[in-house]
Amino acid sequence: MISDKGFAKIRVILPLVLVLSILSIQLVKKNSRMETDLDKYMPQNHPAFQFSDSAEARFNIRDGVLLAIESDSSIYSTATIQKIKDLSKRLAQMDEIDPSGISSLADADNIVGSDGSLDVKPFFRRVPTSQEEIAALREAVRSNDMVAGRLVSEDETTALIVAEIDDDLFSQEFYQELLALANEFSGPEKIHVAGRPIVEGSMAYLAPKDMKKMVPIVILVIVLVLWFFLRSIRATVATMLVVLVSTVWTFGLMAIVGIPIYAVSTMIPVMLIAIGVADGIHIFHHLKQVQKSNPKTEKTSVIRTTIKDMWRPVVVTSVTTAVGFISLVTSEVYPIKYFGIFTAFGVMVAMTLSLLLIPAFSMVFGISPIRQKKSGRNQPAMSWLVSFSEGANRRPVLSLGLTTVFILFSLWGISKVWINSSFLDNFEKSSAIVQTDSFVNSKFGGTSTINVILDAKSPDTFKKPEVLTLMSELQNTTVSQSPWVGNSFSLADYIRRMNRVMHSDSAKYDIIPNDQNLIAQYLLLYEMSGDPENLWKVVDGSFSTANVTLQLKSDNSKASNEALAIIEEYRTKFNEYDINLAYAGSGYKALIFTELILEGQIKSLLLSFIIVALLLGVMFKNVKAGLIGTIPIVFTAIVSFGLMGWFNIALSTTTALISSIAMGIGVDYAVHFLERYRSEIREGRSPEKAGILTIQHSGKAIFDNALVVILGFLVLLFSVFPPNRTLGILVSLNMFLSFLGTVSVMYLLIRKTKLFTSKGGRL
Amino acid sequence: MKRIQKIMTTVATACLMVGNVLAQEPINGLTIIENVYNRAQPQDQQGVLTMSLINSRNEERVREIRQFIKDDQTVEKKIMFFLSPADVRNTSFMNWSYSEDGREDDQWIYLPALKRTKRISSEGKSDYFMGSDFTYDDLGDRRPAEDVHKLVREESINGIACYVVESTPRDDEYMYSKTITWIDKEKWIGVKKEFYDEDGNHLKTLTVTESKKIGNYWMITHSEMHNLQKSHRTRMLLKDITVDQGISDSQFSERMMMRGL
Repeated sequence: MISDKGFAKIRVILPLVLVLSILSIQLVKKNSRMETDLDKYMPQNHPAFQFSDSAEARFNIRDGVLLAIESDSSIYSTATIQKIKDLSKRLAQMDEIDPSGISSLADADNIVGSDGSLDVKPFFRRVPTSQEEIAALREAVRSNDMVAGRLVSEDETTALIVAEIDDDLFSQEFYQELLALANEFSGPEKIHVAGRPIVEGSMAYLAPKDMKKMVPIVILVIVLVLWFFLRSIRATVATMLVVLVSTVWTFGLMAIVGIPIYAVSTMIPVMLIAIGVADGIHIFHHLKQVQKSNPKTEKTSVIRTTIKDMWRPVVVTSVTTAVGFISLVTSEVYPIKYFGIFTAFGVMVAMTLSLLLIPAFSMVFGISPIRQKKSGRNQPAMSWLVSFSEGANRRPVLSLGLTTVFILFSLWGISKVWINSSFLDNFEKSSAIVQTDSFVNSKFGGTSTINVILDAKSPDTFKKPEVLTLMSELQNTTVSQSPWVGNSFSLADYIRRMNRVMHSDSAKYDIIPNDQNLIAQYLLLYEMSGDPENLWKVVDGSFSTANVTLQLKSDNSKASNEALAIIEEYRTKFNEYDINLAYAGSGYKALIFTELILEGQIKSLLLSFIIVALLLGVMFKNVKAGLIGTIPIVFTAIVSFGLMGWFNIALSTTTALISSIAMGIGVDYAVHFLERYRSEIREGRSPEKAGILTIQHSGKAIFDNALVVILGFLVLLFSVFPPNRTLGILVSLNMFLSFLGTVSVMYLLIRKTKLFTSKGGRL
Repeated sequence: MKRIQKIMTTVATACLMVGNVLAQEPINGLTIIENVYNRAQPQDQQGVLTMSLINSRNEERVREIRQFIKDDQTVEKKIMFFLSPADVRNTSFMNWSYSEDGREDDQWIYLPALKRTKRISSEGKSDYFMGSDFTYDDLGDRRPAEDVHKLVREESINGIACYVVESTPRDDEYMYSKTITWIDKEKWIGVKKEFYDEDGNHLKTLTVTESKKIGNYWMITHSEMHNLQKSHRTRMLLKDITVDQGISDSQFSERMMMRGL
C-alpha cells in the first residue's frame, strides 16, 4: 500500500500530460489529412467492388455532373440552343472534365437515315436561326429515342448537359466554378447543377465541417451540465481536461500511424467527450461521499481512498466501453474499423487519465469543500428514482409484462427497419442539392445509375438477335415496372435505331432484326460512319461483354433493390445463353457498401455482447451477474432499433454506428450499479436496504451521467446536417433507455434472482 | 486538272533539282515531300489488307479485306471486300477520291444482309477509316502545297538514313497542328511520322516496319499507327500485291459491290 506521501507524487502526471498533449497537437497540425474521396471509404478488395471497378474501367463508366438548362417555354430558341452549345464548350475547357465525356444536344450523335443511307452526324453544326431550322432540329430530336428524354426533356422545357468526371477529381473549388458558370449563363433560363459527384463531394465536405462547428457547442453544454451536477469548478475543469486530452491524443495517434481522418472519425470528439465525462462524474461523486463520511480527513487521503474504491468500476466500465468500439474491427469498412479502434484507444486514455490526472489535478488545485445544504437536497431528489425502482420491484408481473409488451412492440418495429444507402437523403429536403436533384429527376430519366454487366463466354454473343432482344426486354420491363427506373441504355438501342433508319425511319423496324449478320454489318457501318468510341461504352470489342445502364430517380436502397429484383428475374434467362449477370457503378457500390456496414454492425454487436457478458461474469465472479448486466444493453438495442423502425429512421452509415456506441456506454450503468449493490450486500445489508442505497448513490451517478450525455448529444439537433441530428436523437434515446433498463428491469432481476445473496451462479 | 498540276510540279521539281545540283545547295523540305509525293505509283493495284485494331487492354480485332485500287490521276477509285470476320463477309465499301479541289469523296457501302447498296454522305463520314487510327487523310496523298515544309535535321532510323521534315498546315482548322516525317533518302518513302493535335500535343505515331519493291514500285507493306492519347493501335499488313494488271473501270461499280468476290 502506498503512503499518502508517495501518493502525492502523482502530481508529476500534470506536466507529463501537458508535454504529450502539445506534441500531439503539433503532430495533428503537421500530419493530419482529411479523406474526402468516397471511393477510399469502400473496401477496395471486396469482390463486388473489384468487379465494379474493372467494369467501370472497361466501359469507361463514370459519374456525371449534370447541368440542366430550364427555359420558361421551350428550349427551341436560338438563344437557348446557343447557350447549350456555349456551356458545353466551357465545360470542355475545365481541367476536371474530359471533353470526350460531355454529352449535350450540341455534340450528341444523331443516327439518321437519309436517301436510304446511314448518317451519324451532330444535330447541328451552326446554331439554327430561322424558324424552319429550329423546327427541323426539334423534329430530329423528337424522332430520336436515343436523345429525346435523355438530353432534352419530354416537355421540351429543359435541356441537359452531362459532363463525366473521374471519381477523385471533385473538389469544392470545382463545384464553386460550376456554380459560377451556371450563374453566368442564367437568365432568362434557369440553370441547375446536380449529379452524384456533387452529392458525394458535398457530403464528404459538409459532414466534417458541420462537426467542427458542433464540437465547441457540445463542449460548452457539457461544461455547464457538469458544473451543475458537480457544483465545483475544479471538478468540472479536471473532468473536461481528461476528455479533451484523450481526444487530442487520439488524433495524435492517428497522425503518427498515418491514418487519414474520415467523415465518421469526426464523430470521435463528441463520442469521447460524452463518454469520458462518465468516469469523472463517478469519481467526483464518490469523492463527495468519502468527504461526507469522513469530514475531518486530509485531502490526499480522501483522494487516495476515492481512487482506491473507484479504480475497479472505472477500469471495468472503460474496458467494456472499449470492447463495444473495438468490436467494430470486424467491419470490412475501413473508416468504421478505424473509428472503432481509435475511439477505443481514446476511451482507454480517458480511463487512465481519470485515474491519474484527476487525482493529480486535485492534489495540485485542491478539492472543493462540500456544502451541507446541497447534499441534503440530493437525497430527496433521488427519492423518485427509489420509488420507481422499488415500485418496479414490487410489481414484477406488471413491470415484466410491460417490458415484454415494449419488447414485442419493438421487435415488430425492427421488422420495419430498412437500410438506406442514399447519399442524397443526408441532405435537407429544402437544400439546393435535393431540390435540383428532384427537378432533374422530374424532367429526365434519373440522376442515379446502376449498370448491369452481362458477361458471355464466347465472342460475338452480343450480336445474336435473341440475346439483344432479351436485353431490350430487360430494359423495357425494368423501366415500365419500376417507378424508379426512368430510362435505360444499351447496345440494343443502337441496333434498334440503326435498323429503323436503314428502313426509311419506319417505326415498324424499331426492333432487333432477326439476322446476326445484319447486326454485324450495321455495327461495321456504324464504325465507319460514327465515333466507335461511343460503342465501346455499351459493349466490348469482342462483343462478349455488354453494359446496360439504368437511370434511377432515387439513390435510396428501396429504389435500387426494387430495380434489382426485376432484373434478377432475367438472370436465369441470360444464363441459358451462357451469359452471367452482374452489377457495377456507383449506385450499386453504395448499396453494397451499406449492406457491408450493416453486416459488420450485426457481427460486432453480437461479438461485443458476448465479450461484455464474459467480462462482467469474470468481474463479479458470477455468471448470473454477467447475464443480468447485459440486460440494459439488450433492452436498449431492441427498443432503439424498434423505434427506428416505427419512426422510419433508416439504417445508414451513421445510424448503424449508434448501437455500438449505446452498447459501450450503456453497459457502464449496469457495471456501476452492480458494483455498488454488491459492496452494499458485502457490508451485510439486506437486499432491500442495499437496493435503496445503490439507487440513491449509483443511481444518482448514472442519472447524472445519462443526463450529461443526453444533453451533450442533443446539441447535435442544431446541426445543419440531418445525419448528425439523427445521431443526436438516437444516442440520447439510447442513453435514456440504458438508464431506464438499469433501474427497472435489471434491478428487478437482481432482486428476484437473489443475486449476490444466494449461493447459486458463483464461479 | 490533276495531271496538269502534276506535270507542273514535276517540272518545277526537276528545275529545282537541277538548280540544286548546279548551286550545290542543300535540299529543302518542300522538295523532299514532293519527291515522296511524286514517287512512281502503279496505275492499279490489288491485294489483301489485314487490319488489326488493338485497344488499350491489348484486345485485338482483325479484319481481312481484299482491295482493288485504280488511279487515273483525276480520280482514285478504291473498292474493298471484307473476307473476315465471317459475319461481315462480302460487305463491300467503295471510295472515289477526286483530285479536283474541294470535291468531297463519294462513298458507298453494300450490306449483303440487307442486299442493298447505301451511299454514305460526306457529312456523316467519320474522319477515321473503319474505326481505325488512320484518318482518310492519313491514308490518302496530301498535296505538298497544303503545308509549309521545313527540313529540321537528318538522322538514321534502324540504319536507314532519313530526312526529318516538319510540315505545318496552311489551313489553321486542319486536324493536325503539325506532322514530322522521317523519309528514306534513297527510296523517297516514309519510315516514320508523328502527328500533333490542335493543341500541339503528340497524338499519333505511324511506324513503317516493312516496305517492299513490287514491280517497279516501292510500297509500304507493314505499318502501325499508334494513337498515344487513346493508347489504341492499328496495324496494317498488305500481302498478295499485284500491280498494273489493267483492272477495268467497270470493276468499280455498285454492281460489282453487290456481286461480291
